[in-house]
Amino acid sequence: MAGRAVLRGAGRALLAGPALPAGPGPCPRRGCGEVAALRAMGFSQEQAQRLLALQPRLGPERREAAAAQLLLLGLNAEAALELLERSPALLRLPTERLRERAEELRRLGLDGGRLQRAVSRCPQLFHVPRKRLEAAVRLLRERCLFTAEQLREVLRTCPTVLLEEPRTLHHQFQYAYFRMGVQQKEMVKARLFQTPFAELRNRHIFLERRGLYETPHKGQTQTSNPKLKDILRLPEKDFLASLAYSTPEEYEVFKKLLAREEEEEEEEEDVDALYTEDDDDDDDDDDDDDDGLDSDGSKTVQD
Amino acid sequence: MAALGGRGRAAAALLRRGPGTAPAAILAAGPRRHRHKEKWATTAPRVPSTRLALHHFDTSYSLHLGALWPSVRAGLLCEQKYGALLNNFAAVDHVPQELELLNATDFIFEAHQKVQQWQRGAAVGEAARGCQEGSGEGRTVMQAEMMAQAEMSPPPCASISSKIKCYTFPRGDITRFRPARPTSLGLLDYYLMDAASLLPVLALSVQPGDFVLDLCAAPGGKTLALLQTGFCGHLAANDVSISRTKRLYEILHSYVPKEVRDTVSVTSYDGRDWDQVKGGTFHKVLVDVPCTTDRHSAMEEHNNIFHKRRTKERQMLPMLQLELLMAGILAAKPGAELVYSTCSLSPLQNEYVVERALDIAEAQFDIRIHVEDLSHFRTLFQDTFSFFSDCRLGELVLPHLTANFGPMYFCKLRRM
Repeated sequence: MAGRAVLRGAGRALLAGPALPAGPGPCPRRGCGEVAALRAMGFSQEQAQRLLALQPRLGPERREAAAAQLLLLGLNAEAALELLERSPALLRLPTERLRERAEELRRLGLDGGRLQRAVSRCPQLFHVPRKRLEAAVRLLRERCLFTAEQLREVLRTCPTVLLEEPRTLHHQFQYAYFRMGVQQKEMVKARLFQTPFAELRNRHIFLERRGLYETPHKGQTQTSNPKLKDILRLPEKDFLASLAYSTPEEYEVFKKLLAREEEEEEEEEDVDALYTEDDDDDDDDDDDDDDGLDSDGSKTVQD
Repeated sequence: MAALGGRGRAAAALLRRGPGTAPAAILAAGPRRHRHKEKWATTAPRVPSTRLALHHFDTSYSLHLGALWPSVRAGLLCEQKYGALLNNFAAVDHVPQELELLNATDFIFEAHQKVQQWQRGAAVGEAARGCQEGSGEGRTVMQAEMMAQAEMSPPPCASISSKIKCYTFPRGDITRFRPARPTSLGLLDYYLMDAASLLPVLALSVQPGDFVLDLCAAPGGKTLALLQTGFCGHLAANDVSISRTKRLYEILHSYVPKEVRDTVSVTSYDGRDWDQVKGGTFHKVLVDVPCTTDRHSAMEEHNNIFHKRRTKERQMLPMLQLELLMAGILAAKPGAELVYSTCSLSPLQNEYVVERALDIAEAQFDIRIHVEDLSHFRTLFQDTFSFFSDCRLGELVLPHLTANFGPMYFCKLRRM
C-alpha cells in the first residue's frame, strides 16, 4: 500500500505542474537536486519547497529519509508534509526511530489508516519516550484491566492516552470506575479518555447533585443512570437540555462553585496532612472497602 | 489489594464524596472537616443523616416541585449565597461604596426604586391611555412600556421599608463577602446572613412605635433585622433554647448600642406558652419556627434532625409549629399582623400549618384571620430571588444555583 501511495503521488506530480522549475521560478540555493529527489518520491514542486523550508540546516538525506518513512506509513504527500510542518522536530529523529515507533504502534493495534490518522493528529506519538508509552499500556492492561481488544479500541479513539502520565490516566479511570460505577466496556464506548478530567467531573457531579446520577451500590448491576457515552459525547448544549434538564447559566455557575470547592478541599487536605499522622491508615481503610471489585476485575482479563 | 484500587491520599481524594452522594462503602467520606474519623468516634454512622435527609427530600419534593426539583436540589448541595445586612447603628457610611465597587447592590433599595417607578408609571399610564384615544396608532415604545407597567400596578399598601439595607452580589456572581469588621463605634459593620431571611421581616412591615414579638428569635438574624428598621417601640425576643439564646445575646452586643438593647427583652419561655405570659399585646408578631432546616440537613452531619434518634422529634415538628403559630396569634392584638416563616420546602410545615391555624383560631378562639397577599413581593424581588409560583398561601424562595438563597417560606396574616 505504501508503494502504491508513492506511485499515486508521483502521478499527481506529473499532472500537477511542469516537471522542471521554469525560468523565473525560484530555485533553492541548496540545489535542484534535492527538489528532484523529493519530486521523485511523490512531492509536488510546491510541496518539495515547503519541505525544504523546514529545518533548513538539516542534511538532505535525513530529510528524504524522514519523508520516505512517513510515506511508507501510508500517509500521502500532503499529509506527510503537514505533519512535518506541524512538528518539524520529527525530521531530527533518526529514521530508525520513526520506523520502530510505527512498528510499536502497529503492534498495539494502530494499523493502516488508524496509524495514519493517529500520527497525523498527534505527532507527539513519535516523540514520547518509549518508557512512557509502555507504562501507559501496562497501566491500561494490568491495572485498569482493559482487554486487549478494548485497549486497541481505546488507542484507536484516544491515541493521546499514550502521551499521558500514567498517574493521570489511572486517576481518571478510577474516578469513572469507583466514583461513577462505570465498567470498562462503557468507558471504551464513551471514549472516556477523550474528555478532560475536569469536564468529566463537572458533568458527573452536576447530574449527581441534581439527583440524576447515583453511584451504584456494591453489587448493583442495573441503574437508571444515563450512559457514560451520552454524558461525555453530547455537546454541552445538548447535555444540558436532554440529560441535565438545565440551562447554560446554571451550569456556568455550578462549574465555578465546584472549582472553588475543589480548591478549598485541596487546601484543607494539605492542612490536615500537616497535623494528622494516621492519614495513610484511614486511606487504606477506604481502599479496602471500595475496591472489592477485585475478583470481578480479574475475570475480565482475557488475553 | 486490587490493581484497580489505588493507594494513599490521592486515591482517597478521588473517592472523596462531596455533598449528596451515595456511600458505596460504609465509611462515606463527606467534606473532610465533617468526615467521620472512625478511630475517634464511638458510634459509626451507618448511613449519614444527610443521606437520609436527601432521600426524604427526593421523595416528597420531586412531587411538590416537579420539574423544578433538580435545580433546587443542586442549589441545596452547593454553597449558599449570603447577603450583608448593614448595621445602621455602626456608622457604616463607607461600606456601601466598598460593596458597590465589588458590584454588590442593596436589593431592598432596588425594590424600593421599582415601587416608585410603578407609582410614577401608573400616573403616566393614565396620561398615555388618554393620548392613545386620540392618535389611534403610532404608540411609542415608551408609552407601551408605561401602559404595561400601569397594568400591573402595585396594591396600595406596597411599601418597602428602606431602613433595612442588605447587599447581595448579582445573579450568577459567587463572590463572597469579607468577614464583618468593627467600625469606629466598636460595633460590627454588617451581618452576613441568607438574604431570603429578610423577606419575612420586610413583609412584617414594622411601623414606628410597634410592639414586636419575635417568638423563636435565636440565633438572631431576623431579630437584628427587625431592630434595623429603627421602628420597634419594644421588641420581645424569645427562644426556648438557652444555648441558642446565648448567640442572640452575642449578636445584640456586637451590633446594637446600649440604648437600643434596652428596648429589647430576651426571654427563654417555651413559645407555646406565650399567650399565658402576655396575651393580645403585640402589633407585630414574627413566628419563625423550628423546622427541618432543609439546607442544613442536606449538608451538615452535625446536629442533623434526620438522625435516627431524632425521628420522633422530626415527626412532631408540624404539631410544634402549629402550637407556636397559635401562641403567636393569641399574643397579637386585634388588627395586628403576623408573619409565619420556615426554612423548609415542605408544604406539611408550611401551608398546612397555616391552614390548620386559621381553622383552629376560628373554631376554638373565635378569631378570624385574613391571609395577606404577598404576590407583589415576588414581582419586586424576582431579580434577586427565585420564587415558587404555586404556593397555595404565602411565598416560597427556592434555592437555585444562580440565586442560591433559601429555602424560605413566609406567609403574612392579619388578625381581624
